[in-house]
Amino acid sequence: MQASADTLAFLRDVRVFESFSDPDLAVVVERLRERDLRRRQVLFREGDGGDEMFIVRRGTMLISKAVTGKVEQVLVRVEPFDFFGEMSLFDGSPRSATAQAETDVELLVLGRDSLQAMTETAPHAAAAFFYAMVQVFMERLRRSTQQVAEATRWGLEATGLDVEAR
Amino acid sequence: MPRPAPAKVELLVRRDAEEDFELRQVASVIGYLNSRPRRIDPDSYEISELRSRVALAPGFILKNKTTDRFLLLSAQERFLWDQMDGATSLQEIATAYVLQYGEFDFEIIPSLLRKLQRAQLLTFEPRSRLRAVLARNRGRMIVKAIELALTGLERIRISTHNVQSFFQALYRFGGFLLFTPVAAIACGALAVVGAGAALMLFRDVHDMLEGFGGHALRGILTVKLVFFASVALHQFVHGLACIHFRRRVREFGFTFLHGFVPTFYIDVTDIFMASRRARVITAVTGALVHAVLGAVAFIVAAEAQAGSFTQAFAAASGIIQWQALVVALYPFCFIEMDGYHVLVDVLGVPTLKSDAIAYVKGLLTGGGRAGRGSEELLWIAYVVLSTLSVAAFIAFNAWIIFSATH
Repeated sequence: MQASADTLAFLRDVRVFESFSDPDLAVVVERLRERDLRRRQVLFREGDGGDEMFIVRRGTMLISKAVTGKVEQVLVRVEPFDFFGEMSLFDGSPRSATAQAETDVELLVLGRDSLQAMTETAPHAAAAFFYAMVQVFMERLRRSTQQVAEATRWGLEATGLDVEAR
Repeated sequence: MPRPAPAKVELLVRRDAEEDFELRQVASVIGYLNSRPRRIDPDSYEISELRSRVALAPGFILKNKTTDRFLLLSAQERFLWDQMDGATSLQEIATAYVLQYGEFDFEIIPSLLRKLQRAQLLTFEPRSRLRAVLARNRGRMIVKAIELALTGLERIRISTHNVQSFFQALYRFGGFLLFTPVAAIACGALAVVGAGAALMLFRDVHDMLEGFGGHALRGILTVKLVFFASVALHQFVHGLACIHFRRRVREFGFTFLHGFVPTFYIDVTDIFMASRRARVITAVTGALVHAVLGAVAFIVAAEAQAGSFTQAFAAASGIIQWQALVVALYPFCFIEMDGYHVLVDVLGVPTLKSDAIAYVKGLLTGGGRAGRGSEELLWIAYVVLSTLSVAAFIAFNAWIIFSATH
């Protein structure tokens, strides 16, 4: 009971659940699973199948994408109150990046079935969830665009290429 | 508008263990320092000296024959242009500049690169000549396999940048003793005793190497492996010398040079901010590790039972350590080791090897560049001595292997 109360209090500060009422949040809490990862444990790899999203409750997750050989580019660090893995939750596509624990991590897991059930039993909550999710997607899209520009700047600086030259 | 900080990418490099990894932040400036600008093909440009009655220093006119674009270069820029051979990194070019002019202008290299790129006089070719040859013959299966293997090995690089505190501690807890007069005298005495032991052993080299018990090749490979560990020690002493002169050790690591030469390395380029004496001592002390280890090995071999494995192993180790000493300190062998760096530093000719090779190549093909009399003599001496030395080195090793197997 105490664990549920703690989770409820935690979810109030998670962006996609910010506008949820307490009864709606209680529905979500019922459908969440907890999962612990030890430091450096891989949660999933790029290309794996998946239909769950994860909310970081404690610790830090690294999301990275293969670049070459054993080298991956770190795309983002996911800190407490933030979430990842939602792309596969919606479209069922293979994981687009690898998720690995940088520290010991506690996660909350929301599966596609649970999301489906929430949509049916608490449509108002589901609508709020999807609206918040769209906002997050837009933010992440802007961040990706910024990352592409930054990677291009890195390449130009590393080669000393003078593109202003005629 | 303030200039933005250099861009960085954060990379996760996986280790052999399933979940183990290392995180590295790579700033664009690191890529820049490691880039290797290359002049366009020699047939595509011309350079001529422009003497002025007013200006003391000569200028140079550089012409791109394909685009008919001209550039005016100062003597310093001409010097940098000569370094841009596709094999020398910008960091090495900057080092050569400091050695040549005794100072560094932080804007001169980027500004020259911009000018050269605009005039289409420059390309960037990061790979070695071997890799360029392999790339040209990529159509053949075996070449492709070698190229893939080299690429794989080249990616192996274990290094750490946080070494300054480690070397400082090493210096504090005993490393400083290496830089005392007592250590120098002990090193000299040990070398003399070791040389005596080596001369004594030399008379019975055949009996001695029989201690490998018919497994000479395996024995020699083991000796090489032990030698490999001493290379790490060699680099450690370079690091301690750098600390001794209160400069910074920037990196220590292991990699495969050109994809096939396993080697330890240390970045002590900060020593270029110290005096010439400091640079020479830093270069020489690393190599003296081989003098000490070789002497100890010869003494052990002389004391060991004749024909035993211990004697054979110690004697072979002594030979290889002293060979390493000679290769490291002897400047005339086409390899830019410690002795070469000392020589070019003392003579003030940082581009000796490339100039000498280009000059002799020109003499042989009839298109040689002109130099001053003393310069030409130095170039010829360098190439002749290096050629003879390499031949002698190969002959000596062939003789050792022949003696061990017959």
